[in-house]
Amino acid sequence: MPPNDAALDRVTGEGQRRAWAWAAALREGATTPWHEWSGTGEAFRPRLPGAQQLELLRRLNLAASRAGREVPVRLADRILAAGVSGRGRGDLGLIGADPDQRFGPRPVDPGTLPDEELLRVAAGLIADDVAATGVGAEPDRSLIERVRAVRRPWVPSYVIVGSQWLVEPCVDDLVARGHRPGGRQPMAYLLADDLASVIAHAWTARAFDQGGQRWPAFLEGFAQAGHLPPRADLARMARSAARRYGAGRVTVVLDPSQLADRLGVRALAAPPRLGAHAVDLVRRVGEPLGLLVPTEQRPALLRATLARRLDGRGGPSLTIPRRWDTWLRTQAERIHHEIAAAGYPVLGDLDRLLPGPLVDDAVLPDDAEVLALAVGLLLDPMTPRPAAGPTTEEGS
Amino acid sequence: MSRRVLLHVGTPKTGTSYLQDVLFRNRAQLLKHGISYPADRFDAQFLAALDLMRLRWGGLEQDAVGAWDLLAQRIRDHDGTSIISHEILATASRTQVARALESLGHQPGGDTSDGGTEVHLILSVRDLVRQIPAEWQENVKHRAAFRYARFLELIRDPERSHRVGAWFWGVQEIPDILARWGADIPPERIHLVTVPPADGPKDELWRRFSLAFGLDDLDLDLGTERSNPSLGVPESALIRRINRAAARDLSPAHYRPLVRELLAHRTFSKRTGSPRLGLPPDLYPWVRELTGSWIAELTEKKYDVIGDLEDLRGAPRPTGPFVDPDRPPPRQVNNAAIDAIKALLLEAAHRQAENERLRLELEDARREIIRARTPRLMRSMEWTVRRLESNDTGRKALGVYRMARGRNSRSA
Repeated sequence: MPPNDAALDRVTGEGQRRAWAWAAALREGATTPWHEWSGTGEAFRPRLPGAQQLELLRRLNLAASRAGREVPVRLADRILAAGVSGRGRGDLGLIGADPDQRFGPRPVDPGTLPDEELLRVAAGLIADDVAATGVGAEPDRSLIERVRAVRRPWVPSYVIVGSQWLVEPCVDDLVARGHRPGGRQPMAYLLADDLASVIAHAWTARAFDQGGQRWPAFLEGFAQAGHLPPRADLARMARSAARRYGAGRVTVVLDPSQLADRLGVRALAAPPRLGAHAVDLVRRVGEPLGLLVPTEQRPALLRATLARRLDGRGGPSLTIPRRWDTWLRTQAERIHHEIAAAGYPVLGDLDRLLPGPLVDDAVLPDDAEVLALAVGLLLDPMTPRPAAGPTTEEGS
Repeated sequence: MSRRVLLHVGTPKTGTSYLQDVLFRNRAQLLKHGISYPADRFDAQFLAALDLMRLRWGGLEQDAVGAWDLLAQRIRDHDGTSIISHEILATASRTQVARALESLGHQPGGDTSDGGTEVHLILSVRDLVRQIPAEWQENVKHRAAFRYARFLELIRDPERSHRVGAWFWGVQEIPDILARWGADIPPERIHLVTVPPADGPKDELWRRFSLAFGLDDLDLDLGTERSNPSLGVPESALIRRINRAAARDLSPAHYRPLVRELLAHRTFSKRTGSPRLGLPPDLYPWVRELTGSWIAELTEKKYDVIGDLEDLRGAPRPTGPFVDPDRPPPRQVNNAAIDAIKALLLEAAHRQAENERLRLELEDARREIIRARTPRLMRSMEWTVRRLESNDTGRKALGVYRMARGRNSRSA
């Protein structure tokens, strides 16, 4: 990046020169922490980046060097020029860089910054990448795909309701096979699972379309209020389906293979398997992404990009801490009772609704793990969608 | 290319809502004088600020996608003076400030020789003695459930690691705001508008704004309905308790009209007899010292001051007792609660009446649709039956017809 003399920060002292030299070294791939840095140098861009950006770049350099790679200078410049997204402290100064600073947030040793602060920078950069992929809500489909998706007359009338996280991939796959939902007087199949998983799915769906609270705060809020998140309240969903499609036309599904048999397909498609840390990263990226693309496009965009990239990654699936055991069991028993009392037919065993014992070491998103995933995504960013052209099927 | 941009970046609670309302309602009049206040809706510049800073705001950010670039484009397209005003801009980071200034056509160092825009930074400022309680109150009106004491603790944390402290100083620490926004703007183009003391002349603040924005000689409509009224101690305490009990169950789309607008702005702000929220007595020395350091810094920087930097010192500690919103007088809270219940009942009744009116309207519309779809012959028959039923002879004739039809039906 060419320096612009008129706009360069004044490099007034030893601390400033030391900070600029560190920034320049990081740009070239250095991994030395700030508190060990001793060289001095001159400004090479208009403003000295904040401690968050500099430390994030150092972490990227560390990850790259462990993998025998280098961080491209272009990526390094992107990080140094990035903003800090969301609420909280703005760009922080480096401790010792400007002894005369009397106002603003206290300068910090970037090595001691919480991972949360680095994630604020990383999430903004990943959101830019996701937005730049240009993946729309409706992917282009080939002629063969369109023909395959035409509704077969012998397919029974049905709709699938329940946790959005489970329903969407399932319906998308059925549509692609010509099993389009709908038809006259459809049977509504409510996809259910053990309540702990359903609650995790509710938070996951929320991470994709709203962002919002962390997993522990999400649980705490609902547990203390004594009710379930609306997207996890299976009894309410069943009532709602009964009102819409008729009381005798709702079936609760606890064994997806039985539903697959009914619909005449081999198996129902499952959502990507995202570990706890992966879901949290999606949640964080979704926030700045909300300012880059229209709200209605955000979930589809995140599913088409981040969810695919993170499939099978991000550690084990979320679990609920033992402290919420009473709440979870009470709610599961209520739902079990309401569904049994309403007499909905059940595919599978209704007792599967009841969660298993909760363990002491619950799986919660961990900032360090989330940051590791984010660093990986920055090193191997998602690329913009190629210009539309003939698909393989059409071309062959 | 716009020649001048008056960029008003805060601070909150300094009469900004009033100023923005005057600017918005006088857009056409201002434009006649070559001054553009680009905004298609009253909150357009707020949305632009959210976009610039990538801030979520209870769902409002949905409307903010691309709003800053659009605003900057309109400013670049205007040949004359443009005004941007939003108080949350105060918290922008250096990176965001650089992006904002560049998008407005600002050249390094404020150079205008090569067609660069002449950006004037305006910051309206008020003493911390009033700002600290006002900011807590603003938090409470935005769903916060923490106590006043907790808020004071968070803002006194030197690390500012909590988002509340980070936000407070981000929008209130005047020297730091000016360091971020003004680093590349000549000091003579940085204007500080101080808010006069509470007992100062009523129009003094507007006079100072008017001077800063060059609106002195313009005939503007200054009447306004929008303002950001302050609340008393029991009212603030009540809203905090409501937040604790109900904010989680209310979506932002419902919280905003019911709690902030109906209760806080339209009901509680009219209760002028309640004790006002103030700074706890033990914080006066800390505020005095801090403010002194600010005034020294601002004096040294030689910014253009409209008003008096001494205004920043605030009123001395009052002689009366401090009324703590964490332990408000129960009787006063009860009275405020009664007013709240009354307001909510009236609102519920109004909504019920509106629902009934809409139901009847819907019924009429449905009837009209059925009528429009009914064949002409059927309508003629209905008309004939109605006419016959209106007199004795007709009714008898109708009776004979129905008897005959009944026999026919049976035989069929």
